[in-house]
Amino acid sequence: MSLVEIRGLSKKYGDNVVLDKVDLDIEQGEVVAIIGPSGTGKSTLLRCLNLLEKPEEGTVKFDGVSFDLTKRNKKDTLALRQYTEMVFQQFNLFRQKTALENVMEGLRVVKKCSKSEAEKIALDELEKVGMSDRLYHYPRHLSGGQQQRVAIARALAMNPTLLLMDEPTSALDPELVSEVLVTIRKAAEDGNTILLVTHEMSFVKSVANKIVFLENGKIVEYGTPRDIFENPSSERLKEFLAHINMLEGAEYVI
Amino acid sequence: MTKLFDLQLVFSSIPELLKYLPTTLFLTVIAAIIGLLLGLVIAVIRMKNIPVLSQLAVAFVSVMRGTPIIVQLYISYFGIPILLQYINYYRGTEYNINAIPGIVFAMVALGLNQSAFDSETIRAALQSVDKGQIEAAKSLGMSNGQVLRRIILPEAITVALPSLGNSLIALIKGTSLAFTCSVVEITAAGKILAGRNYRFFESYCSLAIIYWVLTFALEKVVAAIEKRLQVPEQPRQVKERDAILSKM
Ligand SMILES: Nc1ncnc2c1ncn2[C@@H]1O[C@H](COP(=O)(O)OP(=O)(O)OP(=O)(O)O)[C@@H](O)[C@H]1O
Ligand SMILES: [Mg+2]
Repeated sequence: MSLVEIRGLSKKYGDNVVLDKVDLDIEQGEVVAIIGPSGTGKSTLLRCLNLLEKPEEGTVKFDGVSFDLTKRNKKDTLALRQYTEMVFQQFNLFRQKTALENVMEGLRVVKKCSKSEAEKIALDELEKVGMSDRLYHYPRHLSGGQQQRVAIARALAMNPTLLLMDEPTSALDPELVSEVLVTIRKAAEDGNTILLVTHEMSFVKSVANKIVFLENGKIVEYGTPRDIFENPSSERLKEFLAHINMLEGAEYVI
Repeated sequence: MTKLFDLQLVFSSIPELLKYLPTTLFLTVIAAIIGLLLGLVIAVIRMKNIPVLSQLAVAFVSVMRGTPIIVQLYISYFGIPILLQYINYYRGTEYNINAIPGIVFAMVALGLNQSAFDSETIRAALQSVDKGQIEAAKSLGMSNGQVLRRIILPEAITVALPSLGNSLIALIKGTSLAFTCSVVEITAAGKILAGRNYRFFESYCSLAIIYWVLTFALEKVVAAIEKRLQVPEQPRQVKERDAILSKM
């Protein structure tokens, strides 16, 4: 049994089929990267897993606990959301709260930790992402890269079964990308299980255990970085990789 | 010839008028509370687009904004007794209409008027909170109520505060029309006082001073609250003690 088992996940917007019966297994400690052209449902897939979008069909099993993603009563939704945390492209830090308060918020409000307990966990996570020297900075005082590192600390503080990351570096200035990638790599090395959407191919090559190539709502190819980058079997993936390689100018050294 | 203008009287009658200040303030506070609560309800009804209620809310706001407050006060003063008479007649109840003090009618009228204006402010403020933060809060596992209390309201309040402060100032000045409901607040008291010595001009000058001091103080209070709620310009630096704490 895998740590996360996604079955038959389907999502439509009107007649537009965005996800078409997606099945995916994720093992404990794995980093699974989703790649694919724009508009193929990568974000939608992540957002269905914590019910920010409501799929028409699908189940997900976390740690043996099964959830019907079409059942949407409040209790099940909140229970499901305990298993995942999300890191967003636009960081989405709470603007009225400091870095420390941002990380403590979920611990205090959702996990009902005591103040000192929450503070201890938050300080620890902020230390890991290298933000201990900016505890009382508000998001407006932080660079994009720093905001995203705080957002990663906020997510990891909740100790999720699965960490969802949707293009965490796409909104960053080029010189800030690598500090966030370093942070993600560290989170992976610490044993977190991660489902990651990204266009950073060299990063995917070196960090991901498995890669999903998603196109038009279907998993067209699934395999290790070697399988995907060195032996792509489908024409579509080959085209996509050729396209990406052409566009990808700088490689970020980590 | 008597003095054309008695400057001393302007100041000496202020203490007499201030005896009625509690009435003005009481009326203001109650109407402000009605306005905020009902305004929030209307804002939520309109944001959630609840059928029927939403259309009623739009019509209510439009009527309230499109009619003079003095007309609304008269309608409240004469309308509520008529309404109660109907209720007495059809349901066999025996509410004593004459026992209702005039200030109640003024509170209702001013409160409803406030709610119409506040609802627009509150709606705009709630909608100004960006969706990303709300999604982040939901992802953390917060319930809708927690998201509202912890994330949406703190930010919406900072956005709404300047407009709400202005509407409160308008309300204080609006209470000067409460004489229409036979309420004796400071303006009515000023008129009564002037009626005795025929010094109307001096009396209105005294009133002007009182209102101005009142709204001036209120502006300062609102500004101070605004400053407190705002994210500071400069971040507070981490001190050594905190750094040690974080190493623990
Ligand atoms: N709220 C919505 N209403 C209607 N259609 C939507 C909505 N959200 C997304 N879509 C459509 O769903 C499809 C998949 O969108 P999604 O955001 O999942 O793509 P993506 O793979 O993440 O793309 P990108 O790489 O550009 O982020 C797109 O065709 C998009 O137009
Ligand atoms: Mg996307």
